[in-house]
This record gives sequence, structure tokens and C-alpha cells, in this order.
Amino acid sequence: MSLGIAWPTRSGRPPLALLAVGIVPLALALTAQQVEFSPTRLAQAALAVPAFLAQLLVMPDWSYLPELAARLLETIQITLLATSIALLFSLPLAVLAASNATPHPLVGWLLRGLLSLIRALPDLLWALLFVSALGLGALPGVLALAMVTIGLLAKLYAESIEVVKRGPVEGVRACGAGWLQVRLYAMLPEAAPDLIGTTLYMLDHNLRAATILGFVGAGGVGYDLITAIRLFQYDRLILMILAIYLLVTGLDRLSSVLRRRII
Amino acid sequence: MSLNISTVPLPARPFNPTALVALIWLCTLVWAFVDLELAQSDLRGALAAFAEYAARYARPDLSELPTALALMGQTLAMALWGTALAFALGAVLAPLAAAALTPNAICYRLVRELLNLLRALPDLLLALLLVTAFGLGPLPGLIALGLHTAGFLGKFLAESMERVDRGIYEGVRATGAGSVQLIMFAAWPMILREAIGYTLYIFDRNVRMATVLGLVGAGGIGKAIYDLIRIFEFSRASGMLLVMITTIIAIDYGTTWLRNKLY
Repeated sequence: MSLGIAWPTRSGRPPLALLAVGIVPLALALTAQQVEFSPTRLAQAALAVPAFLAQLLVMPDWSYLPELAARLLETIQITLLATSIALLFSLPLAVLAASNATPHPLVGWLLRGLLSLIRALPDLLWALLFVSALGLGALPGVLALAMVTIGLLAKLYAESIEVVKRGPVEGVRACGAGWLQVRLYAMLPEAAPDLIGTTLYMLDHNLRAATILGFVGAGGVGYDLITAIRLFQYDRLILMILAIYLLVTGLDRLSSVLRRRII
Repeated sequence: MSLNISTVPLPARPFNPTALVALIWLCTLVWAFVDLELAQSDLRGALAAFAEYAARYARPDLSELPTALALMGQTLAMALWGTALAFALGAVLAPLAAAALTPNAICYRLVRELLNLLRALPDLLLALLLVTAFGLGPLPGLIALGLHTAGFLGKFLAESMERVDRGIYEGVRATGAGSVQLIMFAAWPMILREAIGYTLYIFDRNVRMATVLGLVGAGGIGKAIYDLIRIFEFSRASGMLLVMITTIIAIDYGTTWLRNKLY
């Protein structure tokens, strides 16, 4: 006997979203043990905070400033080189991977799989592998960052090309344009604002990544950061944190101004 | 009587900065290349060395699969808790940083700047600092993830809340709703889908980052991989990497599928 009561959904069954609302807290509760999320551990951590913050309140080591500037410059150079190298490779790869521009669906599918494989390893792990293979220095940093950036940039570019309007493409094709001409003169110009926006985002992302590449010895300010923490040189550490904050925020502002002007 | 067209002065051709921008860009790259002393390094040798190094990972040793899965579980738990923390923090901060809902301009600027600071500090650096303060283990890792991504999630949510049609806020306010009611009954219902999409994206990002946090002693599979690479146990490291890559790709596809279902 039906009472005529149903969930207010199209099918009358309980919505799937309700399941998610229940699953997430359950998963959190079940995994609390694994991540040591217990009242005692939290209290212990909270008690350690004031003492740690007190350690950070020191006079900055101003004599370190010139060296810091050199390190930051190196970080910026690594970012610029890696992003530009990636840009060079990503554009052709994106054309080959985008479903509406690929020469054969199989090529696009294989390429997208390869890109997702590259992306699956985080940038720091790539850097670790390159440093292990090539030794310390900026070169493994540039190569690792370029590698990860290709994985992400080519995918984002391909997605921008896929949403290009069909009209201009058909128009250019109707003029007798060949395979390459359609891609060069219809698809890429149509996607250009998106491509530039993505590149600016990537530059921002890579600057953040480049600051920590040095943790595994791949050049830039990261090496000094990890040394300062290991040796408890808090007078240098606060200078570095401040400088990274200013640099990242500066590029963030600059890229949003550029984005507004270009797009 | 005819107008001589050749005498009509044409307007000046608008300045096209493309060539100038390209030139400056190229010069910067050359300068970076020279300054980082990459010319001295033998690039072809480097690629050969990397290929040789990568070949050592060709035979993954899967005999430790249960351990690897348990460690991966811990990493996933860290990412989940980090995302939950980021969501809780972001949800509280977002209305304060949204122009339409903020109580006053000072609060707006302060919270925006706080979110900016959280985004500017790399999570790996935060994790390093917190490991120094709290001791080794996953707890400092998840707090670092949560704080860093709260900066992103707070900003995304605030921007979504600003994009909501003004009429909706006015309508709810006209019923006599207070500021908390405005947030709960006007802002959140409107941005719920977007908010879930952003949170899934943050979760995906946190899974990748959680694998890396092991490098600084914050537990999970990253620490195990780092230790194995350092004692040249490439086959065992390769097995762990395989588990990690498979999980990351699965989560990537899973969250993408869920996001597509949402919209």
C-alpha cells in the first residue's frame, strides 16, 4: 500500500547527494586515527604554538638580503625558462590532443593519456628524480618544472581549443584552407584569449612551485629555506617568508591586471 | 569634381606591441639561460643520463603491496582531512571576503589579505615549519594542507558569492533576514554546486600534494618513496610509485566525473 509519499526528486527516490552528506563525515571519523587527529595530540600541538611563534620573533638578518635577492632572481629565471619551454612544446601537443583538431581520434586519446601520466607525479617528485639523475643545480629544476608544466598546460590548451566556436573554423575551411591552415588561422586565434589567460595562470603556479624546488636541491630559494629551517636560522627564515609573500603576491596582482587588459 | 582619395590622410596605424613583447621575452630568456649557466651543461648528456636513470625503475617490485596500500590510505586520509579543514575555514572566511556580504570595508580588506597570505606560503614550507613545531607525523601535514588550500577555497567561494545576482540578496534581505541568514539562505544555496566543484578540485590537488609532504617528514607514502630512493632501492620505490600514480589518476578521473555530473 502506497501512502503517496515520495522524495521531491524526479525519480521519487532519495537524492544521491544525501549519500555524500553522510559518507564524508563517516570517512573523516574512520580516518581520524590514521592522521593522529585526537584531542590529546591536538592539545599537545596547540601548546607548542606559542613557543614556536616566539622563536620567530627575532631581528631579521639584514646582511643576508643581497644573497636572498640573488636566490629569488634564480627562482624567477627558473620559472620563466621552464614555462617558456613548456609553452613551446604544449601548443603543438594541444593541437594533436584536442578532440576537434587531432589528426586521428586514437592519437588524441593516446596523447591525453600520456599527459595525464606526466601530471600524476607531483612536481617535487619529478624534481627529485631529475636531481637524482643529473645532480644538483638549476638544470634539473628547469627540466622537471618544464615537464610537469607540459602535462598541465597541454591539457588546458587542448580544452580551450575544444570549445572554439565552429563558425570561424568552417568559414576558414570554406575558403579552401588546408589542415594546418585551419588550425593556425581559425582554431588558435579563436582560442588565443583563453590560451594567454592559461599561460598567465601557469606562470603564477610555476613561481609558487619554483620556490620549493630547492627543497630537493633543484635550485632557487628553496635550498636556503630548508637550510634555514634545519639550522634554526629564524632571522633569515622570516626574511625569506616575507620576500616570497611579496614576490608571489606581486605576480598575482600583475597577472590579474594583464588578464583584465588582454581578455 | 572628384575627391582625390590619395590626399585624405589615413589615421595612424595602431601600435601593435606583439613584436616588442616577443623581443623582450626572448632577451629575458637568453639572459636567464646564460645567468643560470645552463649553456655549460651538456643538455643531450643530461637527457641520456635521465633515460638511463629512469630505466632503473623499469622493474617494479610489488611484493610490498599491502604496505604500499596502507601508506597510500594514510596519504588519502591526510588529503581528506586537509580538504575538510580548508572547507571549514574557507566557508567561514568567504562571506567576510565577499563585497556583497562583508560587514565593513576594513574586514573585507583584512580577510582578503589573510587569504592572500595563506595562498602565498607554499604548503610544503608550512608543513616544514609545523613539523618543527609539532614533531613528525601526519598532523602537521594535514594542517599545512588545510591552511594553504583554505586560501584558495576562501577566495573561490568569495568570488562565487560576489557573482550571485544582487536581486537574490535583496529579496532575502527584504524578508527581514539578518546577515547570517543572508549567508545561509541566499549565498550558500546559490553557490552550492560551484562550491562542491571547487572542493573536489581542492581534494584532487591535496591528494597530489599529500604524497609530496612525506619528503619533509609528514608521513604517508611520500616518505616511504623518498627513503627508498635514498638507499637506491629502485625496484621497491618503483612499486610504491606505481601504487601512487594509479591512485592519483583514479582520483583525477573520479573527481572529473563527479564534477561533470554536477553541472
